[in-house]
Amino acid sequence: MKRNLFAVLSVFVLASLMLAACGGGGAQPAAITIEGLKEKDFAPVKYEAPNCDYGGEFKSMEAVDESTVRFTLCVPDPAFPSKIAFSAFAVQPKEYLEFTGATGAILEQPIGTGPYYVAQWERGNQLIFKRFDAYWGEKAKTPTLVFRWGSESAQRLLELQSGTVDGIDNPAPDDFAVIEADPNLQLKPRPALNIFYIGMNNTYPPFDNEKVRQAIAMGIDRQRIVDNFYPAGSEVASHFTPCAIPNGCVGESWYEFNPEAARALLAEAGFPDGFKTKLYYRDVVRGYLPQVSNVAQDIQAQLKANLNIDAEIEVQESGTFLDNADSGKLDGLHLLGWGADYPDQTNFLDYHFGAGASKQFGEKFPDIVENLAKAAQLASDEERRPYYEAANNAIKQHVPMIPVAHGGSGTAFKAAVEGAHASPLGNENFAVMSIPGQDTFVWMQNAEPISLFCADETDGESLRACEQVTQSLLGYQVAGTAVEPVLAESYEANADLTVWTFKLRPNVKFHNGFTLDAADVVESLVLQWDAAHPLHKGNTGAFSYWSGLFGAFLNAPAE
Amino acid sequence: MTQETSSVAVLDAEGISLKSVSLWNITLRRLRRRKSALIGLTILAILTFIALTAQWLAPYDPYTPLIGIEDVKAREAPCIHALGCPPSKPQHILGVDGNVRDQFSRLLYGARLSLMIGFSTVTFAIIIGTVLGALGGYLGGWIDNVIMRLMDVLLAFPSLLLAIAIVTVLGPGLINALLAIGIVSIPAYARVVRASVLSVREMDYVSASRALGGSMTQILFRRILPNALTPLIVQGTLGIATAILDAAALSFLGLGAQPPTPEWGSMLGAERNQVFTAPHLVFFPGIAIALTVLAFNLLGDGLRDALDPRLAHVS
Amino acid sequence: MTTYILRRLLSSIPVLLGILFVTFALGRWIPGDPCRAILGEKATDAVCDEFIHRHGLDRPVHVQFGYYIREVAQGDFGRSFRFSKSVNELLVERLPITIELSFAALFVSIIVGIPLGVISAVRHNSWVDVLTMLWANIGVSMPVFWLGLMLAYIFALALKDTPFQLPPSGRLSPGIITVPFYEVWNLPLQRGTFFYGILDFVARMNILNSLLSLNFEVLRDAIRHLILPALALGTIPMALIARMTRSSMLEVLGQDYIRTARAKGLRQRVVVMKHAFRNALLPLVTVIGLSLGGLLGGAVLTETVFNLSGVGRILYDAITARDYGIVQAFTVVIAIFFVVLNLLVDISYAYLDPRIRLD
Repeated sequence: MKRNLFAVLSVFVLASLMLAACGGGGAQPAAITIEGLKEKDFAPVKYEAPNCDYGGEFKSMEAVDESTVRFTLCVPDPAFPSKIAFSAFAVQPKEYLEFTGATGAILEQPIGTGPYYVAQWERGNQLIFKRFDAYWGEKAKTPTLVFRWGSESAQRLLELQSGTVDGIDNPAPDDFAVIEADPNLQLKPRPALNIFYIGMNNTYPPFDNEKVRQAIAMGIDRQRIVDNFYPAGSEVASHFTPCAIPNGCVGESWYEFNPEAARALLAEAGFPDGFKTKLYYRDVVRGYLPQVSNVAQDIQAQLKANLNIDAEIEVQESGTFLDNADSGKLDGLHLLGWGADYPDQTNFLDYHFGAGASKQFGEKFPDIVENLAKAAQLASDEERRPYYEAANNAIKQHVPMIPVAHGGSGTAFKAAVEGAHASPLGNENFAVMSIPGQDTFVWMQNAEPISLFCADETDGESLRACEQVTQSLLGYQVAGTAVEPVLAESYEANADLTVWTFKLRPNVKFHNGFTLDAADVVESLVLQWDAAHPLHKGNTGAFSYWSGLFGAFLNAPAE
Repeated sequence: MTQETSSVAVLDAEGISLKSVSLWNITLRRLRRRKSALIGLTILAILTFIALTAQWLAPYDPYTPLIGIEDVKAREAPCIHALGCPPSKPQHILGVDGNVRDQFSRLLYGARLSLMIGFSTVTFAIIIGTVLGALGGYLGGWIDNVIMRLMDVLLAFPSLLLAIAIVTVLGPGLINALLAIGIVSIPAYARVVRASVLSVREMDYVSASRALGGSMTQILFRRILPNALTPLIVQGTLGIATAILDAAALSFLGLGAQPPTPEWGSMLGAERNQVFTAPHLVFFPGIAIALTVLAFNLLGDGLRDALDPRLAHVS
Repeated sequence: MTTYILRRLLSSIPVLLGILFVTFALGRWIPGDPCRAILGEKATDAVCDEFIHRHGLDRPVHVQFGYYIREVAQGDFGRSFRFSKSVNELLVERLPITIELSFAALFVSIIVGIPLGVISAVRHNSWVDVLTMLWANIGVSMPVFWLGLMLAYIFALALKDTPFQLPPSGRLSPGIITVPFYEVWNLPLQRGTFFYGILDFVARMNILNSLLSLNFEVLRDAIRHLILPALALGTIPMALIARMTRSSMLEVLGQDYIRTARAKGLRQRVVVMKHAFRNALLPLVTVIGLSLGGLLGGAVLTETVFNLSGVGRILYDAITARDYGIVQAFTVVIAIFFVVLNLLVDISYAYLDPRIRLD
């Protein structure tokens, strides 16, 4: 019996030895090859909306010649370069988009033009990028980039301290001091370009009553939340948008904490003894909300103590929670936040309260919507200011949500990391980072990307991964917010800011060896714009950034 | 619960009540000789005392954040005056948690919840299990077959997974978690009861009552079920241990007790991120769970040995 | 033996049917519309009509059950809306991780538990015995997740910068890439075939894969990552096994034939190992079989603590995402897996003890 087992085992070992010897290591592909995918010749193409009544910003998009893309807008948009630079509008080969149908394989294997390409995504474990050697710009400093994730900040810090990772996102507020005191580590504070808010949907009672919303706004001690649960560098929000954004905090400051007045207001609204509701959140750490469960429980305790409101906590999975919030299904209070994608008021106010905003807060308020629409068409900050003042004041009056805090956050790296930085937009660029003598750079963030087709993702953890791989016409300065040319070498607008022409950089190669041309750019954008486009699919098909930034989709199905 | 059923036995005919009382005496005497069971019993007595008097023992309210009330920061380490913590600082024997609530007070209140969880789920499971097991064993035939196959099926699932699946359907929450744990522990009791019913079903005294025209329920409850009491108590004691562990696990996963309930599993789950920076917040709830479960395990083992008829000649 | 196996196989059919029935019932009790519960809220009416028709949801309940059995038998578990993948793919992806973890835990519990039990039986009432039993009692009482966190604290932080430092999460160190053994062997395979699925399943168990492809760097790394979770998960079975070994060894050591063997002048070691241990092994098989269920359940918790992306983790994610399709599919697969394991345990029991077969 034993002898048999031994014989079997040795045959087994021998066999695997032989097979391993015969096999040898296959040569690693330099970049990606997709079987059955052929490059097509450039043909000029133009998509145009019949008119501007559909409610979106675009009138037409056109691949004029191989290296020229032209967009015509329905309304002037001074923020257009900032918007189009965003990573949701990255360019992938037209052929690949058609080949995958813009869903399925493309969700895991994007083909971009960036300094890294996706080598392997071990779902649940790690995401491995390799340096793209035919990259048009300065090559990545480290050959291999690895993304890992862990929802717990303690775990991330521990991995950094024990040296298994080189950089981490969002250390816990309590740990800022620990990192600064450690000579082996460096802390990079991330400017607080974000907002944490308590949302309410005004289609569900009692939140349909403005007085109730105002009472809650006055009944929450926001200073106490910031003092106890936020790291240094955070501040209580005086307005929805941080002051660092032009025209961010114009208009009246938010309500002072006043529990007596709040109770009086609540009684006036018909709820002298408070009411029962729910408090929804996702247990996901973000820069704007570093200690989710604790903040939620503190808000719960405050609601009870100050307003006698019983809020039952309900934790939802991240994706489900966002879906429910966007589709207006949360009938209680919900905790959510927003980090800047591009430094403009439109990214904050329009996305949440503008005409194209989701149903997160229920019915929209006409006075907010109108002011935002007017402001968005003006070119200078000075001209826009009065409208943003009015919009902010209207937000304060209607209380679609309660802005709580601008959360300071940061990244931490080993002291030896060169080029370490934290981006105010959350899009750290790892191509510029390296540790001398080290071939692999490991980054640990809060969560696994949901998919890598970022046209249809809104989650910062997914976007950061995409940003290493795919690029847009323009981009943001490393660790900054200024817009700079990327795939477009240059761009110009007509006088009233409605026609934007981009000249593409010559000889830009995709990871599969195809050459970038204007048709790729147009295809990558039109599939988002046109809801009837056969490639308008993605992961969920929501394309939230498109609608958030550019308004309604073309051919959107009637609701 | 034990109290009630044993009184059933005492209410019974003279001979049986005498016998059962003496059985209890023997059991107690044997139990007293087993050191481990005594330890279990002692821990349990202390826990019960804590659970009953938590509102007087606890120095703070378990729900109120001490923000603005005291000068403490979230997740502050334990401060015990007797061990050299400066008297200027407020005393928190086990520190404060992430929401600046006194951890010690929450732990004390948690004892109440854990015992409640253990007893209620096991009571539920015993009631349903006894009914099913007694019916199956007494009636036999296809009813028995159906019931026991159903029990086999429930046992075919890893218990925690089945509980998780049930909570998925019912939705997270303490009551649903308890229900789920109760359901998955039914088969153990049904089997125990059925086995004892089968062992006495054909005995003379049962046949006699049947011949005297006793109704089925009468025979079951008066003549047959008292025999199942001993194994049920053993199984129940051990079952409480498992139930507490499973409930803690569900709460740890966020499927059981919801915040701010001071449930040990959810307290541990809430602070698990901080295990490296504030280990005391993870350590003590875990110790509390382990101690409680240990107590029930020791007592259950002790009871089993003490009630085991095979050991009768030893004492 | 063959008749026994056949009889045992037959007797597990009703249990399997029952499992199918329970998971089917769970699926039907889901609050709300089953189509949107499984395909997600964005499913259109047309998609839902097709779904309802395909799964026979417009038919009477017993017909629906028939459809369900057929689907499970064909291994067709549908797609997960949350992960936008077929559930089968997810099974191939996640199940190996849990199986690897469970077997590692079982391995740890056996190689530690049995010697402890034997020693404490041989040295009855010595300090080894007392300590072992104390440990066994405490071991079964500790919550798995707490033990996991404590182990992570000790081995990742307290023992940092010592040779005993172990990684607190993940399956492999970052940057270490495993190449599936079938690629190393250059096997000509067609993606998407059943055979490929099986090989892929095996290749996802890091330890097995690195052994098959003789990659010892990966092997070492995989083992280092597996130690803490396996210890955490294995402690309860370890305690049970130690206790059971001890008590059955004690019983056997008191038997006449052992005394005879001793009287014959056989050495203590021979008596213990050859005569006593073999006979004490029997009840152990049962304990190990019983532990498996606990292992699979505990894996959910262990995976959460150690950030492993196995079945437990995905079940947890699926539950919070209300992805009932996954919950249903994984529950039924695990339960079937569990039944098969129990079957194997029973058969090996019969193999070890001929008396059983005649029963």
